[in-house]
Amino acid sequence: MVRSIFMTIILIFGTLTIIKPNEPLAFSGQTIERGAFGDDVIELQARLQYVGFYKGKIDGIFGYGTYWALRNFQEQYGLGVDGIAGGQSKDKLVKASEYHRDWVYEQIEKGNRFTHYGGKPLAQQTSAGAGTAESSDVQLPVKYSERDLQLMANAVYGEARGEPYEGQVAVAAVILNRLESAEFPNTISDIIFQPGAFTAVADGQIWLTPNARAKEAVLDAMNGWDPTENALYYFNPKTATSKWIWSRPQIKQIGEHIFCY
Amino acid sequence: MKSAIYLLSIAVLALGLYSYEVRKENTNLQQTVQAQYTNSLTNASDKLSTLQESVSQSLLFQDENALNNELDNIWRISNEFRSTISSLPLSREVSNEWLRYVGNIGEEAKYAADNGDYESWQKRMPVVNQNLRALADEWTVATANFYQNDASISEWASVAEKETSESQFKNVTANLKSYGETDFPLTASESDWLKKRELQNLDDKEITKEQAIDKLELLVPGVKDATYTVTKSKDDAPYPFYHIQFVKGSRIGYADITEKGGYILSFLSERPVQEKTGITQQQIRDQVMELLNRAGYKDLQLVEMRENHQAWHLSLARVVGDDKALVYPDGIQVKISKDSGELLGLNAMEYVQKEEINEDQKVEPIDWEAFFRPGTTVEEEQLIFTENEAFQLRKCYQVIARFDNDLNETFRVVVDAENHDVIKVEYMN
Repeated sequence: MVRSIFMTIILIFGTLTIIKPNEPLAFSGQTIERGAFGDDVIELQARLQYVGFYKGKIDGIFGYGTYWALRNFQEQYGLGVDGIAGGQSKDKLVKASEYHRDWVYEQIEKGNRFTHYGGKPLAQQTSAGAGTAESSDVQLPVKYSERDLQLMANAVYGEARGEPYEGQVAVAAVILNRLESAEFPNTISDIIFQPGAFTAVADGQIWLTPNARAKEAVLDAMNGWDPTENALYYFNPKTATSKWIWSRPQIKQIGEHIFCY
Repeated sequence: MKSAIYLLSIAVLALGLYSYEVRKENTNLQQTVQAQYTNSLTNASDKLSTLQESVSQSLLFQDENALNNELDNIWRISNEFRSTISSLPLSREVSNEWLRYVGNIGEEAKYAADNGDYESWQKRMPVVNQNLRALADEWTVATANFYQNDASISEWASVAEKETSESQFKNVTANLKSYGETDFPLTASESDWLKKRELQNLDDKEITKEQAIDKLELLVPGVKDATYTVTKSKDDAPYPFYHIQFVKGSRIGYADITEKGGYILSFLSERPVQEKTGITQQQIRDQVMELLNRAGYKDLQLVEMRENHQAWHLSLARVVGDDKALVYPDGIQVKISKDSGELLGLNAMEYVQKEEINEDQKVEPIDWEAFFRPGTTVEEEQLIFTENEAFQLRKCYQVIARFDNDLNETFRVVVDAENHDVIKVEYMN
């Protein structure tokens, strides 16, 4: 008797696991809203796409596309419409959809283009991408692109990887200050590759792979930090040979670099 | 012995071949780069002539359409010239002076077209036209040797290394500098740029470095009793400030605080941060508002927050008037760690130097249904102050507009509240 009860329990649990394989893994306890980023947002987007409300890219960034999709879902399912994924919305979404977490993360890691619509075999919803994870892995102010971030991180790492964090943010800030100045080209790429502008371009160190610290430094500069107080130039006083650079008004020294107008 | 000679001969031959290949490759590369530079130089020279002709032609018309067309050309050509000149390996001084002078011409053209200020343009440009002609002649002389038969890449390499006073661009640079000072004493964008340095106008009482540290500890109690290194800004800095560097445990950071008044310009701290978070977005928001209140920033409204791997970046703007308009140029940015909600950064430089608000600007209502195409929904509307392309602070409508389609494409549209000019459109997805 005990044995058959035990077997029945195992069978019930097994069946439930097959029917809803991912439900216990659904979402963390966090309430998520516009501006959020990460695993919960990936799940939110995948589930909203599964039920046909979200047509955009599954990238883990809770932008306006996700916001309107969530509002539409809330409206259709009789929930309070606020574009915020709280407990009720998430519960309803979990019940209404499936989420193939491992498959989704595999596609993201491989850099594949993919969708996660319900009622369509997953194998038919993916196509090979760049081979490496190229999905957005950072949220930037709207005027900058991920290409800008990558290029600036390369420049910062090549120019200032031995400098304190403040010094790395400062180099990134100088590039952005040049973008606003009439004396320099109009794009980040043109500024970085302007002949003679950066030593790292001349000696090829710009092509070294930047670390997470250099990227974080660029991110801070893009978000407004400028430890140089609006500098347009910097130089290492131990190695600078140009008389002209010494004639520029100096603002402050950070690490090995003097920053100036 | 024979074998050794044989092996040695093979090695010498292989080395010779290798050296020949490397040399050939280098020559090819040098020729490619030289061709690229010569092409850019030719383009720059052509564009300079076209720009001068276009400035000259703009003095021909009184008809608004014809003049606007020419002003558009000038703006476009000046941008193309700037892009070409910046791709040449000139010394920084030469290239900066060119970019500045020609950038100013383009900017003035845009300003005249946008504001219909044709009279001022036509009053100022005859001199610029003459100066441009003189500069084009000098440029031709200075660059003649790059077109000679025996010109080589070494010619280009020497240009970037030479001091301007010793290079063939000495005269053109001196004239650019002198024409720049007389033709464009202070353009709109430079005035905007200088505004950031207006902290020199602070007339508050000077504080000591100990008081500056107290200010920092009030904002960030977590750094209390850190090891500090305090230096003063350099003598040339337009406003004096304390540069405080601190180390406390795994935290390393800095803060810049004005000597007059002790205003915190910026603060940034670095420490290892765990990606997993137990703090909600709402808690982050509440914590930031409480922290800013404590530090005396009481007139701010949250505009945007962005989560990343380690931290949240929040943007706030000053709120003014009965209609609670947001003053974007008086913003503050805050960085908060995801693991504990600790303040990792504050940037308040623009907030310290507050904008002067024009209370007299009218706000004319807009019929959004007529303004946008059918199928566009206006989701949010808010009054803001922001700068137009002529760097004037204008009261504007900020609208979040959405296409009613599958992708829900969303735009932030900024429209001047008085004349309904579109100041900015940003794609928001």
